[in-house]
Amino acid sequence: MLNSRLAPIIRKEFIHIRRDPRSLLILFLMPVLMMFIFGYAIDMDLKHIRIGVCDLSRTPASRDLIETLSASPYFNIVARYNDPRKTEDLFTRRIARAAVIIPADFAKRLEASPASPIGVIADGTDANSATLVQNYLENVFVSQSLTSSGTGSGASSGGGMPIRVKARMLYNPDMVSAHFVVPGIVALLLIMIGALLTSVTIAREKETGTMEQILVSPIKPYEVVIGKAVPYLILGFVIAVFILIFGHLWFEVPMLGSWSILLGCCVFYVFTALALGMLISTLVATQQVAMMLSLVGTLLPSVMLSGFVFPVASMPPPLQIVSRIIPATHFLVIIRGIMLKGNGPLELWPSFLAMTGVGVFFIALAVKRFRMKLK
Amino acid sequence: MIKILHLVKKELRQVFRDPNMLRVIFVVPMIQLLVLGYAITTDIKNLDVLLCDFDGSAISRDLLERFSHTEYFKTVPAACKPGDIERRLFAGKAVMALIIPKDFGEDLETRRQPEIQILLDGQNSNSAAVALGYCNRILLQFMQDNVRKAVSRQPVMSRSVKMITPVSRAWYNPELKSVYYMIPGVISILLTIITMLLTSLAIVKEKEIGTLEQLMVTPLTSAQIIAGKTIPFAFLGFIEMGVAMTFGVLWFKVPIAGSLPVLALLSGTFILTSLGLGIFISTIVNTQQQALFLSWFFLVSFILLSGFFYPIENMPVWVQVITYGNPLRYFIEILRELFLKGAGLNVLWPELCCLAAMGTTIFILAALRFHKRTA
Repeated sequence: MLNSRLAPIIRKEFIHIRRDPRSLLILFLMPVLMMFIFGYAIDMDLKHIRIGVCDLSRTPASRDLIETLSASPYFNIVARYNDPRKTEDLFTRRIARAAVIIPADFAKRLEASPASPIGVIADGTDANSATLVQNYLENVFVSQSLTSSGTGSGASSGGGMPIRVKARMLYNPDMVSAHFVVPGIVALLLIMIGALLTSVTIAREKETGTMEQILVSPIKPYEVVIGKAVPYLILGFVIAVFILIFGHLWFEVPMLGSWSILLGCCVFYVFTALALGMLISTLVATQQVAMMLSLVGTLLPSVMLSGFVFPVASMPPPLQIVSRIIPATHFLVIIRGIMLKGNGPLELWPSFLAMTGVGVFFIALAVKRFRMKLK
Repeated sequence: MIKILHLVKKELRQVFRDPNMLRVIFVVPMIQLLVLGYAITTDIKNLDVLLCDFDGSAISRDLLERFSHTEYFKTVPAACKPGDIERRLFAGKAVMALIIPKDFGEDLETRRQPEIQILLDGQNSNSAAVALGYCNRILLQFMQDNVRKAVSRQPVMSRSVKMITPVSRAWYNPELKSVYYMIPGVISILLTIITMLLTSLAIVKEKEIGTLEQLMVTPLTSAQIIAGKTIPFAFLGFIEMGVAMTFGVLWFKVPIAGSLPVLALLSGTFILTSLGLGIFISTIVNTQQQALFLSWFFLVSFILLSGFFYPIENMPVWVQVITYGNPLRYFIEILRELFLKGAGLNVLWPELCCLAAMGTTIFILAALRFHKRTA
């Protein structure tokens, strides 16, 4: 129910928004640019890994192996050398990420014993890609030896693995990272817009002293809060719809679930973001601190702890708990579930409840602090 | 000089007038460093895997055992009804399913190449690819061991079997600890946020309340004003860097193999670049809010395009070109190389030159724009 006191506050807030067209422009242009860059840029799967090969064996067997490596799309052989001591040089000059060292007795041991060792050295400076690179290289070697051993159907037939592995990617069969990134950007932008805008606008009134004027007027505190929240709720929602449609049309991010459920969840997510903004605004006295706090406080956690990039399951258990109070964590499950999997309320209600719960919790804290200040 | 000193003093007083600011600048980043240092690894761990064994033989149990013994996967036994598997993947109860067919053990013994099915939730295309890599690794090792067992039973086979066993090492970070890689990254991100945002906000705030014009009509030249606005934040940036590094070294035991003076020189150059960006932002916006949005946009782009999460080599060429304009890209590279490899200026000079060139350009641009406004 929109009473006569609430409407003017909302109208006033809209005037504030409209008066700053540059901010509005940034708000709409930014997501588009971000989607463009990240939709294309983000790809964790390593390709063309630069490797060095040190062949001490120089036999047909070792050349065969090198041939397999250079034929693979994963590797780019950038250096072939004969002195294993030069490996260090490859890494310090950042020419290669990994090196393969084929020992001198490689071919002999290949014939004679059931295991012929081969050295894989990764530059561990980038620990995460180093793990991937090691995995890739090991898999290439092992599968190469399995196929060439002719252990498949009949020892004489040659070729073929003992076990055939058929892997199928569900929900994103072509492994398009844009499908994964675009929903993430929606989540990131909405929390930013919600939390930043609200905390800053309230902090601004505090800073300029108009908050006190409003509070001594007959307007009730909850009306101030609602009046401040509604315009940004609408703005955030419009931006969300805009990004979603753009991502859907340009990047062809599928929409397997229902639009109405997704948009409904967006409203609640924006509400949670606003709640966070309210909470921040009660903690600070000036716009500047509000901005610093909401930026430092929301940006990195929303990117790193929410599952935007890294799966929550892989985090240490205490951090998994931390990630539960980040609204983006729950929203990401919801938005990706709806868009990519076609999930419905049946699968998503726990995430929805958790997200809304976090929002209510923030609001409750904010109201408590707000009351304390009034006294 | 004295004039600048006064400005610097005024600026520092302004920053610290609000005790909250001090907390936001120093305490919040340290908490984040603590949390994120533990949180992030692009490596996967404890992913829920449904294991579905239609065979139930000793061999299939051996294979499943291998899956439950790694830290990558957390196994969830599944009722072996096909509908059940899909339903649980759909509901997000698991991200991967491994289906072992009936008669798997027998087929493997008689070399009839049984087929294993892997279903993956591909929503997060990146971690799905990593998970598949680990899965393949386990399967390949299983096959290799199996072939070896077969050989030991029938030595006749050994002539056709050629087994390569990769022996992997990682240099500079032998245990491949992600912390060593994450801490430098997080430090540089926090440093960028704080220096860039503080400078741009400090200037825009004066613009907003009109005191910048007062400053302009004083005998101070615009170069002096810029210097007065930059020096305090450069100073803060340095302290921030020092505190964060001490924390990283003492708490996370991140080794610093390189020389500290070189680190100071490179950090100084980076801080100047990021301050220059802050000033530049402040010249193109009118309100603190706009400054915040723009800084946010720059920050997210810098972070995601820095090679911190996603290797730059994997990006399309046009995005790679964009990353050359990203100061964070150079700084993260510098920190990693210097911390772990002990790289010196002889290796890092290209990064230093790029940063210095970028910093100078942006400063000149900012100064010019700043100047024009006053004219």
